[in-house]
Amino acid sequence: MTLELDGLTHRYGSERALDDVSLALEDGELVALLGPSGCGKTTVVQAIAGHLNPTAGRISLRGTDVTGIPPEDRNVGVVFQRSTLYPHMTVAENVAYGLETGDLTPDQVSDRVDRYLKLVELTDRRDASPTSLSGGETRRVELARALAPEPDVLLLDEPLSALDRGLRARLRDEIVRIQQETGVTTLFVTHDQEDAMSVADRLVILRDGATVATGDPRQLYESPSTRFVASFLGRSNELSARVDGGEPSMVAVGGVALPADAVGKEFTDTSRAVVHVRPGDLVVRLTSGSDGQSSEGENTSDRPDASTDRESLDNRSEAIEIQGTVTHVRDVGRRYDVRVEVDSGEAVVVEQHRDGLREGDRVTVTVMVSDLTVFPVSE
Amino acid sequence: MSLINATRPATKSRRLPPLLIFGLFGGILLIYFALPFAVFLSRTGSVSIVEALSQVASRTAIRNSLLTAPAATAIATVLGVPLAYVLARETFPGKRLIEALVVLPLVVPPVVGGAMLLSVVGRFTPIGAAAARLGIPLTDSLIGIVLAQTFVAAPFVVITARAGFGAVDERLEQASRSLGYGPIATFRRVSLPLTSRAIVAGVVLTFARAIGEFGATMMVAYNPRTIPTRIWVDFIAGGIDAIVPLALALLAVTFIVVATVQRFAGVPTAVEK
Repeated sequence: MTLELDGLTHRYGSERALDDVSLALEDGELVALLGPSGCGKTTVVQAIAGHLNPTAGRISLRGTDVTGIPPEDRNVGVVFQRSTLYPHMTVAENVAYGLETGDLTPDQVSDRVDRYLKLVELTDRRDASPTSLSGGETRRVELARALAPEPDVLLLDEPLSALDRGLRARLRDEIVRIQQETGVTTLFVTHDQEDAMSVADRLVILRDGATVATGDPRQLYESPSTRFVASFLGRSNELSARVDGGEPSMVAVGGVALPADAVGKEFTDTSRAVVHVRPGDLVVRLTSGSDGQSSEGENTSDRPDASTDRESLDNRSEAIEIQGTVTHVRDVGRRYDVRVEVDSGEAVVVEQHRDGLREGDRVTVTVMVSDLTVFPVSE
Repeated sequence: MSLINATRPATKSRRLPPLLIFGLFGGILLIYFALPFAVFLSRTGSVSIVEALSQVASRTAIRNSLLTAPAATAIATVLGVPLAYVLARETFPGKRLIEALVVLPLVVPPVVGGAMLLSVVGRFTPIGAAAARLGIPLTDSLIGIVLAQTFVAAPFVVITARAGFGAVDERLEQASRSLGYGPIATFRRVSLPLTSRAIVAGVVLTFARAIGEFGATMMVAYNPRTIPTRIWVDFIAGGIDAIVPLALALLAVTFIVVATVQRFAGVPTAVEK
């Protein structure tokens, strides 16, 4: 275990920033610590780096307890959200800075600087002033500077949030490449779920100073463990459902009753539940007349035809249909966000790639049972 | 359309450039600054400066000022910069009080400050008597002058350096710590170079204030004479014309030192922008 946090708790005065956070990073792993702003992410970084003394808990690096050890004796590399390159030194001097405390000879320092500037593809900016660098170059020099002393752990505290969209995606890939090439154990801290999902081997989700979920990014996205995770990891629709605790127990979503085992949840002592579904997993089509048949040409479904046979809804590959009215269509460029008020009165957003729906249209929303995530609501 | 076209140029021409008004106000002040300089310096023709400055009394005064003001500035800097750093970085109970204490010597009239100093280091106080017994008189001595100058001038370097440290992002220091440097090494390699401009400005202000110090010096050490106390004595005896040579000397010393410090002790930039 390269980095281990055990019961990390921190208070700023009476305000609790971290509450019993435990976390372990394997050697060479890239873990994203994801959470909304103010959830305590930066406090975690500060505690690991040693810039803050946690109220309680332990931090271990390579099996050694470093909780009370000053930052200079920890061998942790940090890249902060804002640039911390030294304006009174050149790019090369910045990268060499962390090497001059060790016992490297000047030649070795120079070789190491060359190696890391090459790694971040900035060899030609060796003698430039940090103030003359672009936003992306600044980040890369900072990565080189943090990596040059070959730290046990690299902490990236919101490294992309100061960059614009295109640069962001490019630098994200760059970070993944550099991490793979150096094999450094990395904790990537971000509030952006897209950044987190695209870089990380593993995701840790932090909320109000406590970890709420840990796991494989794709798995957390597709079967979120809590309502918070569902709504925080990408866009999500929430529908209420009634639980009928018979034998077998049934869950009613938008007027369609499903056997509880079809949605893979156990229900005890509750009559209510909440169902999450991603806007991209919904399909909407015009309802023609009152017979529920789809109008030709408007069926955008790339899924098996929706079954209207409600008796056989015990299979997770089946779909359910909910009737509703379009209340708003928003053109967001690469797709349309169609807002539908379903007949139970709740609203869902459907991501649609074709135009053709207008406000007031009667529509049928189709969703695969397997795309539903049900959370029982405790009374 | 025609209405807009017709009214626009009219309103524009009637409006004065806004900065002109500010400039007028500022200009009055500038004239008020420049006029005394010009008139005073125009009197130089009527006195023999070289002769006046070559008198023993003048030369002693100049020498004393050149000994004491740099000493006071050095003491203020060595003790004041660390204080400034602590004030910029730490929060602790009673910090407000300490901040108030730092500006107190600026608020207190120098003569009163001198009197207060005298009540601590005067010849008949415990401290003053003890020092005098050891052969280090704290009043009417060069040390007394340095004490007075430091008291009055030190706040400048503390306040300016504090602002300088405050402008350095603490993350830059944290990055240095994580790159293997302890707090002192970080201060020396990062905080100090990045604050050098502000510190130099503070040093210059402190020096200018120290070498021109009169009120507190007069109370603590009327003798030996510095340039300002000598000027006072000359003025009592001979009026304005009598002090022109020493006043010029004081101005010259101050300007030379300020210019030199700013030229050579400026920011040592490794990278020319």
